[in-house]
Amino acid sequence: MRQNRKWQSLKYLLLSIAALASLIPVYWMLTISLKTDADQLASPPQWFAFTPTAEHYRDAFVTRSFGSYLITSTIVATLSTLCAVVIGTLAAYALTRFQMPVKANRRLSLWILSTRMFPPIVTIVPLFLMMRDLRLINTIPALVIVYTAFNLPFVVWMMRGFFNEIPREMEEAAFVDGDSRLGALRRIVLPLVTPGLAATAVFCLIICWNEFLFASVLTQTEAAMTLPIGIAGRVTQYEIKWGVMSAAGVVAMLPILIFALSVQRYLVRGLSLGAVKG
Amino acid sequence: MKRFVLTSTYNMNVRFHNVSKRFGEAAAVDSLNLEIADGEFVVLLGPSGCGKSTTLRMLAGLEDADAGDIFIGEERVNDVPTQARDIAMVFQSYALYPHMSVAQNIAYPLRVRKTSADEIERRVKRVAEILEIGNLLRRKPRELSGGERQRVALARAIIREPRVYLMDEPLSNLDAKLRVLMRGELKRLQHDLATTTIYVTHDQAEAMTLAHRVAIMRGGKLQQFAAPITIYHEPANRFVAEFVGSPSMNFIEGEIDVAGRQFASKSLTLSLNESQLEILKNYQRVSLGIRPEQITVSTVEQTGWLAASVYVTELMGNETIAFLRIGEERLIARAASEFRAAIETQVWLKIASDKALFFDADTGAAIR
Repeated sequence: MRQNRKWQSLKYLLLSIAALASLIPVYWMLTISLKTDADQLASPPQWFAFTPTAEHYRDAFVTRSFGSYLITSTIVATLSTLCAVVIGTLAAYALTRFQMPVKANRRLSLWILSTRMFPPIVTIVPLFLMMRDLRLINTIPALVIVYTAFNLPFVVWMMRGFFNEIPREMEEAAFVDGDSRLGALRRIVLPLVTPGLAATAVFCLIICWNEFLFASVLTQTEAAMTLPIGIAGRVTQYEIKWGVMSAAGVVAMLPILIFALSVQRYLVRGLSLGAVKG
Repeated sequence: MKRFVLTSTYNMNVRFHNVSKRFGEAAAVDSLNLEIADGEFVVLLGPSGCGKSTTLRMLAGLEDADAGDIFIGEERVNDVPTQARDIAMVFQSYALYPHMSVAQNIAYPLRVRKTSADEIERRVKRVAEILEIGNLLRRKPRELSGGERQRVALARAIIREPRVYLMDEPLSNLDAKLRVLMRGELKRLQHDLATTTIYVTHDQAEAMTLAHRVAIMRGGKLQQFAAPITIYHEPANRFVAEFVGSPSMNFIEGEIDVAGRQFASKSLTLSLNESQLEILKNYQRVSLGIRPEQITVSTVEQTGWLAASVYVTELMGNETIAFLRIGEERLIARAASEFRAAIETQVWLKIASDKALFFDADTGAAIR
């Protein structure tokens, strides 16, 4: 229909604008990382015609310690996601499947969620003091503990929703067939919530990877610094080292991009699972 | 279904002794006493909320009894976990594992018991043959029709040769034709398996056709436990009489006139025979129950027959159901398929009063 075609083209136009708006900064960052310092500030800006150089990447990873920032970020993000997902999933399972007295299930879930309701900055000082007393300042374990702690409510809440989608009858059938509760969880329930697990894990990873506030307070030397801190540190009092910053930014972006792309089909299934009755 | 013979080495009866269960304030099951013999097919029948599913789930171990004892064979199973009770269950929604193939679904109970792969394959093949689903083994549950899914659920239940089979309204999700077909298959299957089976349904036709004995429940209490034909002809109370039989029994409220040897309601009177007067002599207000097939209808006036007007007729093909009105009373009668009468025309009916059943007007208990 005529009407439909018009709306279709309008839709595509808006989508293209939105896509461009998000992709142009990324493209710009990519080109900055490959341009010489002079080219970066050229006027008019050079979008495509420039001689690429690898000096910024070399500067970042060989001369400076971005390599170690990358490794630290990877370790911290992976470990805390793993801990949060394992603990949170088991907690969510307990909350959905076991009847607690005085309707504690609902209250417990709300209480767990409430810990995410206040601004994280409120906890900065107490956490710093706690970590200092434990002699964990400027170590990887400090970051892992803190990131796990504030990812847990999110994991519990998300996995609760996914577990509620699985009918109880399926586990009851497994019990009648002779399986234990943990066996039924492992063989029946978990395979069915894999999309949800993937979606949750990706979100946790992104949160940990991009986290700035706690990392800036809890780490002081390059030994334990994560990528966001490292990148922000390129804003020195004398100049802004755009080239190195962009190179680091590109490298920081890649792991999450690759990971998200690889679990993309699970993400879509996981996010729309509630809409379809299985 | 293919013919086969399965020799069971068990002697498994099931016994409920004063079993009760409460959900909050309400009693879902109230002091249930039931004894089911080995190899018997017992149907728990009743309307929604009567406690039949709860009873089944207590036997399965999916709910805990608040009071009383449940026995499988000689063993008291109240504290035995579901996994160890050696039972198999077919759920209303079949509860097939969606991420596994049909073969894996059926094999699951054996896999959990760490049976060898060869043994599993052999038994899955055999069971699939019996239920004629051999060609579906590689499919996933979502690719199957309702009837096929039901067979897979059955296969998963029978592969282990348990002590008791439990079935929770397994035919409810099938269309009418398939339901009738599967009813027969189930009955035959149970006969071949010769294992104690407890079946829950709200459909009285299923109960009547499948069961050796039917346990009718209402509001958590057992109303009657007897063979289908006994329940049909000798119901223990008005609820049972009304629940079983389709179209349901007609009830007429009235009084006993001992001197006049008759039963009198607002719109009609029926004479009573000797044996009826004998049991009714101490009663005043009663409910008379008469089944539709015990009322004969005719479009031609007959002496001594009662006049009635037609409310509506249903031509079923093999018979005609006539909804009639006498004064303020409404009656349903079964007529031959040739019977035709327009709405509001006058017809004549004869009630076989010697076949009538009587119930206490207040308690509903049968008067015998």
